[in-house]
Amino acid sequence: MCSTAALGRATRFLKLTMTVTSDQPRRILLRLQNVDKTFQMGEVKVEALRDVSLEVFAGEFLVMVGPSGSGKTTILNLVGGLDSVTSGRVWFEDREITAFSAAELTRYRRDTVGFVFQFYNLVPNLTALENVMVSTELSREPMDVIEALRLVDMNDRKDHFPSQLSGGEQQRVAIARAMAKNPTLLLCDEPTGALDFATGKRVLRILVDLKQQLGRTVILITHNAAIAQVADRVVRLRSGQIVELHDNPQPLPPEDVVW
Amino acid sequence: MKVLDRKLLREARGHLGMLLAVGGIIVVGVTCLVTMVSAYINLADAKQLYYSQCRMADFSVELRKAPLAELKPLEEMPEVAKLRPRIQHAVTVDLPGMIEPIIGQVYSLPDRRRPVINDIVIREGSYFTARRDNEVIVNEKFAEAHRLRPGQWIRMLLNNQQQELFIVGTAISSEFVYLIGPGAIVPDDRRFGVFYMKRTYAEEVFDFEGSANQVLGRLSAAAGGDPREVLRRAEEMLAPYGVFTTTPLEDQLSNKFLTQEIQGLETFAVVTPCIFLAVAALVLNVLLARLAQQQRIVVGTLKALGYGDLQIFWHFLKFGLIVGVAGGLLGCGLGWWLARLLTDLYSRFYQFPELPSRPYWGVFAIGMLVSTGCAALGSFRGSRAVLRLHPAEAMRPSPPRRGGAILIERVGWLWRSLGSGWRMVLRNATRSRLRTAACVFAAAMGACVLINAFMMQLSIDELIDFQFHRIMRSDVDLTFNDERGRDALDEAVRLPGVDRAEPTLNVACTFINGWRRKKGAVTGLIRDAVLTVPRDAAGRRLRIPARGLVMSRQLADALGVGRGSLVGFEPVKGQKRLRYVPVVEISDSYLGTAVYADIKYLSRLVYEEYAVSGVQLAVQRDPASRGALYRALKNLPAVQTVAARADMIENLETVLETQSIFILLLVLFAGIVFFGSILNASLVSLAERQREVATLRVLGYGPWRVGGLLFRESMITTILGTLLGMPLGYLLMLATAEAYASDLFRMPIVAAPELWILTMVTAIIFGLITHLFVQRSINKMDWLDALKIQE
Ligand SMILES: Nc1ncnc2c1ncn2[C@@H]1O[C@H](COP(=O)(O)OP(=O)(O)OP(=O)(O)O)[C@@H](O)[C@H]1O
Ligand SMILES: [Mg+2]
Repeated sequence: MCSTAALGRATRFLKLTMTVTSDQPRRILLRLQNVDKTFQMGEVKVEALRDVSLEVFAGEFLVMVGPSGSGKTTILNLVGGLDSVTSGRVWFEDREITAFSAAELTRYRRDTVGFVFQFYNLVPNLTALENVMVSTELSREPMDVIEALRLVDMNDRKDHFPSQLSGGEQQRVAIARAMAKNPTLLLCDEPTGALDFATGKRVLRILVDLKQQLGRTVILITHNAAIAQVADRVVRLRSGQIVELHDNPQPLPPEDVVW
Repeated sequence: MKVLDRKLLREARGHLGMLLAVGGIIVVGVTCLVTMVSAYINLADAKQLYYSQCRMADFSVELRKAPLAELKPLEEMPEVAKLRPRIQHAVTVDLPGMIEPIIGQVYSLPDRRRPVINDIVIREGSYFTARRDNEVIVNEKFAEAHRLRPGQWIRMLLNNQQQELFIVGTAISSEFVYLIGPGAIVPDDRRFGVFYMKRTYAEEVFDFEGSANQVLGRLSAAAGGDPREVLRRAEEMLAPYGVFTTTPLEDQLSNKFLTQEIQGLETFAVVTPCIFLAVAALVLNVLLARLAQQQRIVVGTLKALGYGDLQIFWHFLKFGLIVGVAGGLLGCGLGWWLARLLTDLYSRFYQFPELPSRPYWGVFAIGMLVSTGCAALGSFRGSRAVLRLHPAEAMRPSPPRRGGAILIERVGWLWRSLGSGWRMVLRNATRSRLRTAACVFAAAMGACVLINAFMMQLSIDELIDFQFHRIMRSDVDLTFNDERGRDALDEAVRLPGVDRAEPTLNVACTFINGWRRKKGAVTGLIRDAVLTVPRDAAGRRLRIPARGLVMSRQLADALGVGRGSLVGFEPVKGQKRLRYVPVVEISDSYLGTAVYADIKYLSRLVYEEYAVSGVQLAVQRDPASRGALYRALKNLPAVQTVAARADMIENLETVLETQSIFILLLVLFAGIVFFGSILNASLVSLAERQREVATLRVLGYGPWRVGGLLFRESMITTILGTLLGMPLGYLLMLATAEAYASDLFRMPIVAAPELWILTMVTAIIFGLITHLFVQRSINKMDWLDALKIQE
């Protein structure tokens, strides 16, 4: 697969010397403790999350599923330092995100997190290439931008503006943008939502490779139950609460998933 | 280049129209600032340099005739550093080819050059030589106007004798930076000259051996810059020699005009740019608020990617700074150019050895600072709201606009009578408060500037009309060397081409009311005079009373007297007894502070017998009779000055014409304010409502109908703002007139209907022109694309 080869090159490029073994005791990367999130809309209160506690392990592939409005994006936002909790606490490794100052939050987002947004959120006035550069310019050890685009098969469209790309193409640029920063934690909000079967699978493969070869932690939201099969663990949400959390000891390779 | 800068440039290109609109206003503000401050420094510096170069007198005393030895006690006062007695005399000049009489003033100077108070600067030729006694130095402008060069001879009537004088040079002096003849308010290079001659020669022709009729002095440090005490003592000490007037530098004619001009510049250098820059900041605020709002999601995304608030703010700030820096640079350049133009113009009325216009880097720096500061303020206020959001919040589409009914909707019958178009327009205007407020403010400021421009023009017309058609109605005014009897009038009536002659008697005096004293003069007129008609503010003719005075409002106010009060009157000639006379009427005028009385009454008061010091003539206007009259006048030795009303009006008009340039500039600047703010608001409104517009287009609205909606919106704010700005402009004009008002000159305040109408019409025309540009972008708008945009 060409994307695997590309990732190999990316790995060399980063000169990473990381050994990945699955037997080691699992290190906790993220911890949510009794998190509540309430949105105040005039008179109405929307309880988006209610007493959510969750641990995410370093190097795991976690999938979140649940019906629309169940609070998936809200969790991702809290974990990524994009929003503040109403009550409860969130830790990243041994640092409490919920106690971060604005500047610390910015640094956390810059150095640690990579985001793929549900609605892509590309900057309209920048080309695909430049949209990726927007994030690499901030990063201390970024991937090569072209390389990142090649991973998602978008390097031949690199000079096009978002308005000239289809939804799926925009989504792939968004993925390249998140990856290129080379983040420890990759947060993907329905990254395959707008993609066809084949492309969706390729994107999944990239994410799985990132986990397996670089030891990145991936949290992925999906509506598609089939995709949950590639996860190490699956979290199910309903009405702002975790209703199910189960291990998947034998994750399927993305190529074998059918939907 | 950073990627975000590329984004910036692309967006700047996309918003070019709006940026130019805002930039234009900034340019105007900075231009005003740089122009006025530079011109101010040019003038103030030149004045200071010139005054010290010529050792400008701090005070002067005019008297009949005092022996030089008698000045010793005055000179020995500790407050006095130095005195210079000199001889001054009015002359008439006879130039070949000039039919109209030319008057001038002669001053004595040391025979050999040495530094003196009120020295001259030689412009051409040389100082006096030892070769002749009858050498003369002519003031430069007069020499230029008549093509007089050193080496030529000139004929003058000195002390009733025709004399031939040899021109050795031309010169200027700091006491005549603004050189005007008696009774004039604007310079007349052709008809009034200043002539310097050797002291010994002046002593001889005027019979002034060892004496002087004017004393100039410089103060010592002990006086603390205040000449009043010295002048009071001088008046006492020199009383036996007939003190006419004592004048501190502050009241010296040329200095007064010059200082007032400089002070005016100083005030306007602050006020005007403030108006424009405030508008610019507000308009930029609107533009950036829109830009930031539009980029909410981008801002959220950038934050999510790890950009700090400061980095993103800096990004938006750069947007404002592009405009600020470009506008500032352009404004500095334009301002410098205009400052040169303005300074050049000043040098036509104000004579300096040199009036250079320099680039002042400090002023440019202030200009840049102010323009970038105002741009930064606008950007900051505009982007603040969006920058404050949490990234997660920013990335969600913005909450819908405040809904609910607007105020007018509550007035049911009114609302129901409005079509859907008007409803849309009114809702939009009320809901986007900041933008509407910015537009109203800009229009108000624009109207303020327009009112000032138009009123300036109307004032000039009013001044000329009131002063030269309604108050002073004579064609030619003569004054005599000395007071004469009735025969002078008979003589004048017999002059060729004279239709009517009326006698006048001018008596210099001091008015006294309690502790208040004012120097002035009373003009005696016959009771049924038609050639000088005192009037009140409403323009009604005032009868000259048989007893008492008709006093100008300015003087009455200064003295604290009104109709029916008694005022002390102490003439400087004749019987110098202090008498108390009633003030019978208060008159109004724009030039001078005239006081009128019945000539018989005044004569009795001062001389006991009928006295005439001048004659006013109504004459036939054709050139032939005019020529005959002037020829006859040249041969009348007793005539000291001749003033023709037509010449005065013509002079005034040429000077005031230069004002037209400024009036035009002001209108142009106001236009830029209107254009900039309306264009910006309309384009922002259009961008904000792309979907609405697209929907209207789908419903079958044509581009002009859509444009009509925007036009109505901008017209509401324009008209509202203009209405608010008009009284504001009026008040500003009142303040200006107040600031510029002096004993010599007052600005008429004209609030005629045409002023308001003209302002409103001009504002609407600016609105219309701007809308054409807005319409163009509506026509070009790709509304199908707009439908697809997800916001
Ligand atoms: N800013 C907000 N103001 C009010 N309510 C909000 C806000 N953001 C989210 N919500 C509400 O919080 C709840 C959780 O939203 P969230 O976006 O996390 O859902 P989700 O699981 O990601 O749904 P989807 O699968 O449709 O993306 C929803 O009911 C949503 O309406
Ligand atoms: Mg979601």
